[in-house]
Amino acid sequence: MIADAFTAERIGAAWLRAALAPYSDFGRRIDDAANAAGLPDAVRARERCATILRLAAALDADGAARVRAALRTVPDPLPIVSRARAGDPLGDVDFYELGRFADALDAVARAWTQAGGAPDDLPASPPIAALLAPGRSGGTGFYLDDAFDPVLADARETMAEADARVEREHARLAVEVADELGFMPAGEEFVIVREQHAGPLPHGVRVVRETPAYRLCALERDIPALLAETERDGERRMLAAEEERVRRELADGIARERDAIVAATVRLGELDCALARVALVHRFGGCIPTFDDGIFALEDATFAPLAEALATEGRTYTPLSIEVRPTAVLTGPNMGGKSAALALCGFIALCVAAGVPPPARSVTLPLLRRVVWIGGGDADRVRLLSAFATEVVRARDALADDARPALILVDEYARTTGPREGRALLVALVEALARRPHTVALIATHFEHVAEVAGVQHLWVTGAARAALDGIVAGDLHDALAALAGAMDYRIIPAGPEAASGSDAIALARILGLPAPLIARASDAYES
Amino acid sequence: MNGALLDAALACGSSVIVVGTAKNVGKTVTFNALRDAAEARDLRYALTSIGRDGEPADALDGREKPRIRVPRGSVVALPEELVPRSPALEILELGERSALGRIVFARARLATTCEIGGPPSARAVRATIDRLRAFCDGPVFVDGAIDRIAPLAGGDDAIVVATGGASGATVERVADVAADVVARLRTAAYDPARDGAAPLRLPAALDALTAEALLAEPPQTVVVGDPTRIAVRGRLFARLAQHVALRCERALRVVACTTSPDGPGGGLDPVALVRAVAHATGLPAFDVLAGVRA
Repeated sequence: MIADAFTAERIGAAWLRAALAPYSDFGRRIDDAANAAGLPDAVRARERCATILRLAAALDADGAARVRAALRTVPDPLPIVSRARAGDPLGDVDFYELGRFADALDAVARAWTQAGGAPDDLPASPPIAALLAPGRSGGTGFYLDDAFDPVLADARETMAEADARVEREHARLAVEVADELGFMPAGEEFVIVREQHAGPLPHGVRVVRETPAYRLCALERDIPALLAETERDGERRMLAAEEERVRRELADGIARERDAIVAATVRLGELDCALARVALVHRFGGCIPTFDDGIFALEDATFAPLAEALATEGRTYTPLSIEVRPTAVLTGPNMGGKSAALALCGFIALCVAAGVPPPARSVTLPLLRRVVWIGGGDADRVRLLSAFATEVVRARDALADDARPALILVDEYARTTGPREGRALLVALVEALARRPHTVALIATHFEHVAEVAGVQHLWVTGAARAALDGIVAGDLHDALAALAGAMDYRIIPAGPEAASGSDAIALARILGLPAPLIARASDAYES
Repeated sequence: MNGALLDAALACGSSVIVVGTAKNVGKTVTFNALRDAAEARDLRYALTSIGRDGEPADALDGREKPRIRVPRGSVVALPEELVPRSPALEILELGERSALGRIVFARARLATTCEIGGPPSARAVRATIDRLRAFCDGPVFVDGAIDRIAPLAGGDDAIVVATGGASGATVERVADVAADVVARLRTAAYDPARDGAAPLRLPAALDALTAEALLAEPPQTVVVGDPTRIAVRGRLFARLAQHVALRCERALRVVACTTSPDGPGGGLDPVALVRAVAHATGLPAFDVLAGVRA
């Protein structure tokens, strides 16, 4: 879905992006691939939503959260598998990581089952665990154990015997010089303090390194000792070669399972992305959208970012229903939710494009490719444009691109100029939008009779009864807003002759705490 | 002799960090002496480093350095790139990232020698020591670095200060340097009953500028977070300590010094050096090669 930064900010795109952010690298890869592939067609979009709703119905919310948490801990095996596939040697840390991957897959599977998920939705476990099993007898670690190949056991035993022979030879040599040194030298190298042994070293002792205070010495090896060391070094090389051979065979086995491992990671990624959407459905509900070119209709739809923000304030969001065929002007009182209704429409379009079942009882909309928001913004300081100039330029650009099916949301266009010319500009814009092909447009305004003049649908926010507004006592802002929310009827209905006129601006200003003399003067001025 | 050093260290903590007053003062020799003493008692132990250690030659000056032996059954924390391929280690867990890859916790199934290195941050070093304690019943030995003492903070390790001819041309100079380092690291814990109820608490490091400001109008007591936050040295530190009761929230446990008489200018008298360092620092001092203690 194409939405510039200004539009995205208005319709909650960042909120949705954060809510859908995958927990795992696998999920991020799936996300990236989906973004690169572009928007789905109607059939695919409906299938995606149906899948999410099926999962949401099957999984309990806490369980789904636990599956996501388990996904977060799955290490990415693909760099290791790719190296194995290319014939690069793998190390024991690589095998340890692959073991962790196998364990993490098991953990995801357990969490999935506990959450009520169907086994068919899980990735098939590649046989990594079986390949690595001989090295994981100690639990979660990895050791290139003798159990991988009996030759390893033989090589290690032979090396231990060779080590022991060297030790015996060194012990023999040490005994031969001990009397002359006055102590029994230990280890391959030992220190002689010059102060304690200033004279010549005994035959059989050589200096490795010396300092003014010490001489670091080693025993001079004779033929039997050198033979024992040579043999030990050979056994070490043999063991190293055997260990590398076993690692190579293990790596070959991993490489052979490459396709199964890749498939498992792809499924994990899909699961990660799906569970992000399931979490939204668990919080806000969702439906399968219906696609129809000439209508944008929402029934009991929720603008989730606003619902979440209100909830943190202890307030409740009222789901909205609206039907736009395909161009409508929305009027009504201040603080009645006109801008929120526009944002809701954009948000729902985003959800559908992102494969999120839109949070509503039902949704019917065209297959949209673009959302544009015009108006309601500040001056564009980067381009040195005033608020008026900014929205005019946005309107110009939106009208210039008529190739893609678009949802165009217009909020208080031309409110910053003189009301007579402003209204005239808005009428012209509405007429142009109504003529524009493949376009749904919703235009919120306080200008009167725009819909009638432009010949488009007129919708109205029901608002609060005047008596209800007059009954609210001005005071603490938080309390006033809560009382106002309780009094306000946010329903959007077709505007008929019985629809109230005016914006309730003066009554609302009183509730919001404007001083009483100002309110009284404003009322007088309005009446006169 | 090395057993006495190990006893002094383990009496104060299950992990021992060796720091040096300069490069080439026998820090790794001290580290190996502690390990030898543990091996002589059949203790399984764990190893790691705050810097990169165990390489055949010093990365800075090319001098030959002692290798780190890893005996069978011991546990080591080292960066992924330094894990020896043979004989294979048992990989237990992966930890923080370092410049040489993730820190690998591994157990030696067969004796080997390797380079060891540690994680980059003080917090990660502390986490690494904690994990090593979980993997090993025996002591944890940490080859430290004088220019990276931040990891000393927040732990209950025993600290051994290695000093030697590389930090001074005379016995007296080496002893003075050791005394300066030890005095800073042994800054006493703040005690309201002794030090007064309204000390000046420094939230940041005590640097030279702060020290000069304090000396201009000395408060009775100054409290820093821990001794690693004291960045002043030498005479400035001595003057400050003379005029101000310098205290810390969390004290460190400096338990002993080791000495190495070798230096670029030649060798110092090992016995005289051990005695001078013990006298100047008030700590037991050991020359682990000469087998001298004071």
